[in-house]
Amino acid sequence: MKKTSFLLILPTAIFGAILLYIVFYNVAISFTNWSLLHPIPSFSGISSYANVIHSFYFPTSLIHSLELSGSAVIFGNILGIGIAGLLYFLSSNKARTFFLSIIILPLAISMAVNALIWLWLYNYNLGVNWLFLRLGLPYVPWLTSTSMMMPSIIIIAIWAYTGLPALFYLASFLGIDKSIIEAARLDGASSFKILRKILIPNSANGFIVSTALLFLFTFRIFSIPYILSGGPTNIFMQTLVVFSYYLFTTEFFAQASALSTIIILIATAIVIPYALYGIKRWIKK
Amino acid sequence: MVEISAKSVYKIFSKKKGEVYALKDINLTIESGEKFGILGPSGAGKTTFMRIIAGLEAPTKGELLFDEKVVARNGKVIVGPESRNIGMVFQNWSLYPNMTAFDNIAFPLTNMKISKSEMRQKVEEVAKVLEISSVLEHYPRELSGGQQQRVALARAIVKSPSVLLLDEPFSNLDARIRDSARALVRDIAEKLRLTVIVVSHDPADIFSISNRVGVIFQGELVQVGKPEEIYNSPKSFHVARLIGEINELKGKVIEEDGKNILSIGNLAIPISGGYRGEVKVGIRPENLRLEEEPREEGWVEAGKVRVKITTYEGGHFKVTLTPLGDDQEIIVFMDKIPKEEEMKLFVRPSKIMFFKY
Amino acid sequence: MMRERRVLSPYTKSVLHYIALTIVSVIWLIPVYAMIINGFKSNLEVASSPVLVPPSHPTLSPYMAVAHVLETPIINSLIVAVIASLLSTILGSMGAYFFYVLSNSYFRGSGMLSNFLFSLIALGTFIPYEATLIPLTRFIVDINLLNSYPGLIVSMLIFYIPTAALLMSLFVTVVPKSLIEAARLDGAGDVKIFFKVILPLVIPGFISTLIFIIIESWNNFFLPLVLTTTPSMRLVPVAVEAYTGGYGTLYNETFAVATLASLIPLIIFIFLGRYFIRGLVALGGAGKGV
Ligand SMILES: Nc1ncnc2c1ncn2[C@@H]1O[C@H](COP(=O)(O)OP(=O)(O)OP(=O)(O)O)[C@@H](O)[C@H]1O
Ligand SMILES: [Mg+2]
Repeated sequence: MKKTSFLLILPTAIFGAILLYIVFYNVAISFTNWSLLHPIPSFSGISSYANVIHSFYFPTSLIHSLELSGSAVIFGNILGIGIAGLLYFLSSNKARTFFLSIIILPLAISMAVNALIWLWLYNYNLGVNWLFLRLGLPYVPWLTSTSMMMPSIIIIAIWAYTGLPALFYLASFLGIDKSIIEAARLDGASSFKILRKILIPNSANGFIVSTALLFLFTFRIFSIPYILSGGPTNIFMQTLVVFSYYLFTTEFFAQASALSTIIILIATAIVIPYALYGIKRWIKK
Repeated sequence: MVEISAKSVYKIFSKKKGEVYALKDINLTIESGEKFGILGPSGAGKTTFMRIIAGLEAPTKGELLFDEKVVARNGKVIVGPESRNIGMVFQNWSLYPNMTAFDNIAFPLTNMKISKSEMRQKVEEVAKVLEISSVLEHYPRELSGGQQQRVALARAIVKSPSVLLLDEPFSNLDARIRDSARALVRDIAEKLRLTVIVVSHDPADIFSISNRVGVIFQGELVQVGKPEEIYNSPKSFHVARLIGEINELKGKVIEEDGKNILSIGNLAIPISGGYRGEVKVGIRPENLRLEEEPREEGWVEAGKVRVKITTYEGGHFKVTLTPLGDDQEIIVFMDKIPKEEEMKLFVRPSKIMFFKY
Repeated sequence: MMRERRVLSPYTKSVLHYIALTIVSVIWLIPVYAMIINGFKSNLEVASSPVLVPPSHPTLSPYMAVAHVLETPIINSLIVAVIASLLSTILGSMGAYFFYVLSNSYFRGSGMLSNFLFSLIALGTFIPYEATLIPLTRFIVDINLLNSYPGLIVSMLIFYIPTAALLMSLFVTVVPKSLIEAARLDGAGDVKIFFKVILPLVIPGFISTLIFIIIESWNNFFLPLVLTTTPSMRLVPVAVEAYTGGYGTLYNETFAVATLASLIPLIIFIFLGRYFIRGLVALGGAGKGV
């Protein structure tokens, strides 16, 4: 490797360095008391962390974030497997691509736009409730009942991101030797049994990728709760990222940074193992 | 042209399950203008050695010198591959699929300070020698295997490299055109007076091109010499078997009437030389015959043998036989199927090779 | 002897299979369907018409009404998304090729360097942007780029160059190692090898990465939200937010805005969806053979 080879990494390294600078700058701010009341920051140890963690909003927003990401991981995986199974057993490649595209389509639409659409779909009289009435189902108090607010957000997230697990499970299924499936068929196994006994047990990779991506993508959803509740203040929809934005707008800068550091640590705990053991092994080979 | 020497070169790959010694203490000097062949079985370290010469790998220990100048030492590449002026033909050709044959051949020249017209002239010159002028505008996928190999060769020699490296250069070619390809490489190398290093597990590649040969086994250079030397007096049975089919036999040398006799079962072959007692010998099939009477000078009758089975292979009948009262198998080639079960075996004693037990 | 078992005929099974997929697809398309139809309702109609009922007298007037509002944001978004994604993809690809070279070189510490850099680009790809808010705005303010195209582009590059490097490092592995070695023996340096040999051979992966990042940057809401304050610099997702307006307003304009804002990613998805999907697949670490 020559010295000039390092020119190639230069742009990535510069912007990577900016990213690191930002992350560490954030950590630095988190150890001060910078806020509206203390416009000139001074070192104050971990008091910002203590304040954030002891604030009324922290446990609720942490729970909301975990609810959102946890549900997305669970339901995303289940739905993804189901849809991938349906797609796998299609005999026509064209039909498979067609249906897969529909499931993936939401990924192309911005979360801000999704929020607008669902805001109206969740309208008590004019939204999907209208359809529920026709189908003989009860009205659901989507955004009008506080206990339904997080489930409403979770449904949007599942709708938006299920394309990912469907895609990755399908890829895993298609990677399994076709002759094994044919042998099972000759032994009289039903499609459902093949899915349960052969396809799913051999899709560890699909599971790892789907879980990591579902968690990471839903963990940073911001515009849905922000737009649905018209700002960062509605505590029933507040996730960690929304809470940190709220701390910022109310000028608790140090606390916002402390919370950001916590958020980054949670994300990093998933990103780095995923990157080094999930993604990178493809490159070494 | 350049003289290349390796001074106790080691290459050690660390793997999960311990270390692999791909090369062990290689000491070798390849002189300027020499056509050097490296022969060895699969996994012996041939490619590794060639890649170290090319600068694509660094020796873990030891030094590599080009004309007395150290180009790599103890895990460090000092002169990189781009500065060693090496032409290399890869096993799978490695032509750039996004470039035409012309652009492929011209690519090394674009890294030198050469005018466009001079470049074109050089490319056309080598293309003419290699008879690929008519396909210069084609992409690699539009070329036959033989043409691709010629383009790869053209790309390797267009910049007048100081050394031309060939790694299993013919293994991807049809057997049908392999011989003409070998002849082409030899003639080009001769004409351009190139230093050539050719690596292969096929002795035919090595013997058709090189005038000196190194044999490598499990990372060790076990024998270096002229092709005839390697062929006629291999250092070990392994070397002998690498070059061609050979019968490995155990026997005993005894003294009878003041003469040394090699005895294998009922077979008795008079030999010269000071061997005694238990010995291991190698006899190539072409030095054995099943006949009624010897036709030529130098052949002696060894005794009766029993034919076990006859198969057909490579235009010959391959006869497997055993001495009477011994179960060691001996292979002999014949032009016709042996008629009888028991026949007389003739041998050329001067061609018998003795190995250490 | 065949085992006696009550089984559905293959034909019935196949019909049920398609029915199941069609039901899932219809449910999945409801929001998109709602988005498209409701922009065609008149002000009169929206007051009482449920969101899932198609317009009785389709009209273009809601689109007319919002077109001028979205005109500037669409131009802004186009400028930012195109420049940011092109730059990210090219610069990130260079980084990806460097990883490839690095993974095949064995100098001391190359493994650690490679793991460190790779973790860094993965972090850049997946980090919640919101958690970089304060230092990022400070940084953009410090370099005097608040409320400007360069400011938005630089902030996107911080996240999308890593994304491109991550995706491309999977696509680059399809180029055989020996081709790179051949080029090196031919005297070419890595920069030249990248542009002359690697880039032409990874065009499909390059397009996939580019498309993926165009869509991502077009849809990014948070960065333009915090890095622009003047209306003339707004990008589409932020402009859209103004149309939430609570339930008091007329929703036909909201949906017209939603449709216009999604038009470009949707068109890209319909015509180049294959490349978008391959970008997603690379994000999962399975760039090979797709
Ligand atoms: N990059 C590498 N990493 C680890 N081990 C390697 C590497 N390259 C080669 N080896 C090991 O070194 C030994 C020699 O390999 P080499 O490729 O030089 O053999 P070869 O003589 O060229 O064989 P062949 O005739 O099959 O091409 C083998 O045991 C091989 O497994
Ligand atoms: Mg080899």
